[in-house]
Amino acid sequence: MGTWRTLRQRGEIERTYSSIRAILLDLEPRVINSIQTGAYKNIYNPENFYVGKDGIGAGNNWAAGYATGETVHEEVMEMIDREADGSDSLEGFMLLHSIAGGTGSGLGSFMLERLNDRFPKKLIQTYSVFPDTQSGGDVVVHPYNSLLAMRRLTQNADSVVVLDNGALSRIAADRLHVQEPSFAQTNQLVSTVMSASTTTLRYPGYMHNDLVGIIASLIPTPRSHFLMTSYTPFTGDNVEQAKTVRKTTVLDVMRRLLQPKNRMVSTNPGKKSCYISILNIIQGEADPTDFDYIIDGADTNRGQVHKSLLRIRERRLATFIPWGPASIQVALTKKSPYIPMSHRVSGLMLANHTSIATLFKRIVLQYDRLRKRNAFLEQYKKEAPFADGLQEFDEARAVVADLIAEYESAESADYLNPAGPETAVDDT
Amino acid sequence: MASSSSNVRSSAYADRRSTVPKDPTIARPRVASGRAERSAQTPRQAPLGSGNVLRRNPSASMKPNGGGDVDKRTERVTITTRENMSIKTRSPVKEDAEEYVNERREKDRDRDRDRERDRAGRAGPSATRREKDAPQASRISVPPLGSQAPTALQPRPLNQLSVDIQEAAILEDLLFVFMGYEGQYIRFVDSYNPTMEKDRLTGAGFRILPGLDPSLRDLTNSMLKMATHYGAVEAFVEVQSREEFGAVNHALCAAIRKLLKDYLTLIAQLEHQFLTNPSFTLHVLHLHTLPTSRMMFQLYSLAHEILRRNSLLEDDLEDSVDDFDDVENILESLREGGDLGPGSIPGKKICKGGSVLGLLTRRLASMSGDPAARTLLTTLLREASRPYMMMLNEWLHHGGIKDPHAEFLVKEQKSIRRERLEEDYTDEYWEKRYTIRENDVPPQLEGLKEKVLLAGKYLNVVRECGGVDVSKEVGDVPRTFEDVRFLENVNEAYAHANSSLLNLLLTTYALPARLRSLKHYFFLDRSDFFSYFLELGASELKKPAKTVNVGKLQSLLDLVLRQPGSVAAQDPFKEDVKVQMNEVGLTKWLMRVVTVSGIEQDGSGGNGGLDNYQTPAAPASTAEDDKNVIGFTALELDYSVPFPLSLVISRKTVLRYQLLFRYLLSLRHLETLLVGSWLDHTKVASWKHKSSNLKLEMWKRRVWTLRARMLVFVQQLLYFCTAEVIEPNWQGLMARLNGSGKSENDEKEDLRQVARTVDELMQDHVDFLDTCLKECMLTNSKLLKIHAKIMTTCTMFATYTAHLSRALLSADPDLASNPPAASTGGATPSASTSYDPARLDKLADNLQKYEDNFSRHLKILLDALGYYAATETVVLLGLCARLSTANEGTPGGGLGGAGSVG
Repeated sequence: MGTWRTLRQRGEIERTYSSIRAILLDLEPRVINSIQTGAYKNIYNPENFYVGKDGIGAGNNWAAGYATGETVHEEVMEMIDREADGSDSLEGFMLLHSIAGGTGSGLGSFMLERLNDRFPKKLIQTYSVFPDTQSGGDVVVHPYNSLLAMRRLTQNADSVVVLDNGALSRIAADRLHVQEPSFAQTNQLVSTVMSASTTTLRYPGYMHNDLVGIIASLIPTPRSHFLMTSYTPFTGDNVEQAKTVRKTTVLDVMRRLLQPKNRMVSTNPGKKSCYISILNIIQGEADPTDFDYIIDGADTNRGQVHKSLLRIRERRLATFIPWGPASIQVALTKKSPYIPMSHRVSGLMLANHTSIATLFKRIVLQYDRLRKRNAFLEQYKKEAPFADGLQEFDEARAVVADLIAEYESAESADYLNPAGPETAVDDT
Repeated sequence: MASSSSNVRSSAYADRRSTVPKDPTIARPRVASGRAERSAQTPRQAPLGSGNVLRRNPSASMKPNGGGDVDKRTERVTITTRENMSIKTRSPVKEDAEEYVNERREKDRDRDRDRERDRAGRAGPSATRREKDAPQASRISVPPLGSQAPTALQPRPLNQLSVDIQEAAILEDLLFVFMGYEGQYIRFVDSYNPTMEKDRLTGAGFRILPGLDPSLRDLTNSMLKMATHYGAVEAFVEVQSREEFGAVNHALCAAIRKLLKDYLTLIAQLEHQFLTNPSFTLHVLHLHTLPTSRMMFQLYSLAHEILRRNSLLEDDLEDSVDDFDDVENILESLREGGDLGPGSIPGKKICKGGSVLGLLTRRLASMSGDPAARTLLTTLLREASRPYMMMLNEWLHHGGIKDPHAEFLVKEQKSIRRERLEEDYTDEYWEKRYTIRENDVPPQLEGLKEKVLLAGKYLNVVRECGGVDVSKEVGDVPRTFEDVRFLENVNEAYAHANSSLLNLLLTTYALPARLRSLKHYFFLDRSDFFSYFLELGASELKKPAKTVNVGKLQSLLDLVLRQPGSVAAQDPFKEDVKVQMNEVGLTKWLMRVVTVSGIEQDGSGGNGGLDNYQTPAAPASTAEDDKNVIGFTALELDYSVPFPLSLVISRKTVLRYQLLFRYLLSLRHLETLLVGSWLDHTKVASWKHKSSNLKLEMWKRRVWTLRARMLVFVQQLLYFCTAEVIEPNWQGLMARLNGSGKSENDEKEDLRQVARTVDELMQDHVDFLDTCLKECMLTNSKLLKIHAKIMTTCTMFATYTAHLSRALLSADPDLASNPPAASTGGATPSASTSYDPARLDKLADNLQKYEDNFSRHLKILLDALGYYAATETVVLLGLCARLSTANEGTPGGGLGGAGSVG
């Protein structure tokens, strides 16, 4: 069962936002039905809903989801083509899915591959919900599913925003004081993050008006393209049960964004963990009717941005890769004029941090544990991808291990020029 | 006068009769001739001066007088020239007296009409006088000199007369002399030549024939001065009433003429006394003329001063100043089709308008201790300033200049038309169309001149915009300088004009919206539409600038601007944006601007060069430079602004907008290139493939890192320019512009609003742009050079890596050996896709060069920035801190360097 099926949507980033170019895809009808009868049914194009014909899901089986892709992909690709043709300046795709279950993970992986073939020059960004790797979770086989999906995310996606169910629950508990957060509540956390990360696209400013510009600065080396997010403050405006947060300033926000507890990914940063790049999207501006603002506040936020950047550098609140540019960028954006907010400034951090590898490590670890016992493998073997054996698992593991190695080597100063014995051997 | 008793009056007459008979044919004014007849009738000698003798024939004295008066008048007409008529026809005693009374009565009513008449009467004769071919009779303006009269007509020498008779003769002579004519015994000095204008202006000197009793002589001498002054003032009035001396002089002359009329009335009354009052003596005459004499002296010295200013008293005009202004004047009058009247002869400085008023004022100030003089000068000033005040009011309340004589303190250059605003890079229209005549400002307006100038200028603009007539109803405005409301009037008019124009600009013509629209197009503050434009036009913009199809780009831009959802779609001014190509590269252009003006270190004069620098002198530029200019670097927007707004958004400012735009565009374009290469690195198989060759992988990593560095550099620079330079400055500008919007809740705002003028607003706008240019490093040649080098390095690198994808195939042993990789196209020789280990070394070498180049230049730039941040532009410090991040992780770069700066 996927946490994020409700938001399983694929929308192109395009120039006009008069209609939603989302395609909603599921193999079982329950969640999509609830949307079709829900409050927001009218904003979706009814032609863009796709529900599996037989109405039974992938049953938390990556292989089942992936195999179904073969049968449904033509119809889905047709929808995608239709929307792509209708876009004036198609830049890329966004895929929202979870990787623990069957449909999001399996069918999602399949669609990723197909999209990449069909639109080789278009960006693909995914918002992928990772299972709670620290406290089990409700899908027993999630390590299998995750690992298999991870391979596609590594190879076929250009940018993956990692959202960790464990971290989301933790934040819900810490910030919202809800011990057992409902899907609706965690969904709200995620939608807040998504909305913030696309503000610069939706409310164009001087910079960061295109997805590729944002991603390019965040991902210097193509393989390290897994991003983590932080958001602060979560308040009642975003999530109902949140406690009211005191007035925020840019300074506060930028400092808090760097705190690990606000990260939406559970990682175990080591001593050498460091940032590869950071993009802070600061939303909201001082109230222009405020008199202070007129006198000296015109650049209060900007001044504070500068000040907090200096502070971050001086106090070394964020360590960066030792071999490359310390890319910390700030985008100042407007807030949606339609949503009143009680606090003045909120911020989202998109960061490329090497400690994300620890999350992958845990997945690999849990996979290894299951795999050693050959547990639950029967249902996978039944499906087409594993018809010829289980080497798909091994390949996926190798890819993920490679990814982890990539992140780890990025932590060392000799990333560009390893003076290890390998080079010596290579030279001779 | 009136107090003289009737029983003494005949004595004067008796005395007078004692004079030698005169030839009536000699041209003399009526009094003289009339009396000459009478003398002929009664040739007997009067007994030596005693009252009782005089009383003997009272009736004889009365009767001929009346009849003589008629005669005199008729005779006189033939003698006097037309020129003198206007003044002298009034001299008959009776008529004068009547007129005097009448005039008194009608004075207030008729004053203006009277003056008009006077002026009209004056203009005629003066015109004919100048014409050489006028009838001869009209040219005889002066009677023959007494000294040239035949000996037979010479009077009996004075020393043969008794003192009483001498007194009578002298009294009679004086009455003539007071009117400017020679008497029997009082003659012009020999040096005086009545036909010389200069002599007449200086005033005739008089001498008394020898033999006069010393006591009488002294007294007479003291009175003769008045006569001299009268003559001079009369000549002055005549001369200064000429057309070229302007309305103020005319008004002054009219006022003086009135005084002269009073003077003549006085003489007539004195004559009456002389004829009827036997006790009328030289002393009495002296006493009666004393106050008038002072007045005459005042008038004389005033006239003298003015004449001296007009250099009418000097023969040489050597000190004439042939300044540019005059040339301009001639050109202008030629252009206007007017002929060069004598008044507009260049080099002859004419004291008129404000100068005359100034002169009067100064005299008034220095004479303030003398009540009589003060009254006199005050009157004169009041009268003289009337036409000036009319002009002033016209200007202040309607924004118009009706100034045929060029005397007003504001000068209009009609040749500068507002159509020229279109290509005017120097704000000529605004700065030069209306200027202050610095030398001609009356002291009363000295402190207000700027306000006066601006008030009219603003109103003028408002009026030129047509439609609504916002000029104030001119109801009750002060007519003279003395008026207590004078200051108030100017201030009110100024405030009115200022608020009208501000209102016009800000509300009717929506200046803030205009500026916002400019910001959208030139600063790309919501650049989504523009990115789309660049994307659509990429194929066109890649070409060299010369071959770019501008029409196509324009239609693309129009298309994009109409795209629903973009910020431009709602912009009402999108029609005004035009695409154009500027074939001179930005850096080159800026460098030229910087070097032309030599402003490098000088922050304040920052952009003086821009003003002088209008269009790039394309032919001078070398060919090979221009070849590098492709569409992207040459792309430029133009923006046309309708008239009143073009004062604020002048070409001068649009040029600055364009410079900033091109700079931002160059950064954006570079960002696009780098992002494009990122896309290649991410998407293309040869980059994506993880090679088994570690060395190649390391090389790839270095390429990625360098690209990331460059991207960080560009993005940080772009961020700095937009978020830390343009946006805050823009907010500041808007806050100043909209100060009025929030005034109700704050007093301070109110005060600020009051102080605002349209000129301040224009200055704010230019300052805003200049600050942006400066803080974006566009005004410093050193920074420009380094910056240009880095940009070139980055551009070259971005294009270089784009071509590497294929090269990589042959450098990568895995891919090269791969048959599918070789199938990249028939055109590619298979040799290039086969593995070539040497290739990698070459690639590594190239990369090394780029790396070195980039980090070295960046380091130089950082050092320079640090220096300039410390010395002139503090804001650059922030940029320095930002850019240093791009160099982090390289030897010599990074935190260490930044730390020392921050």
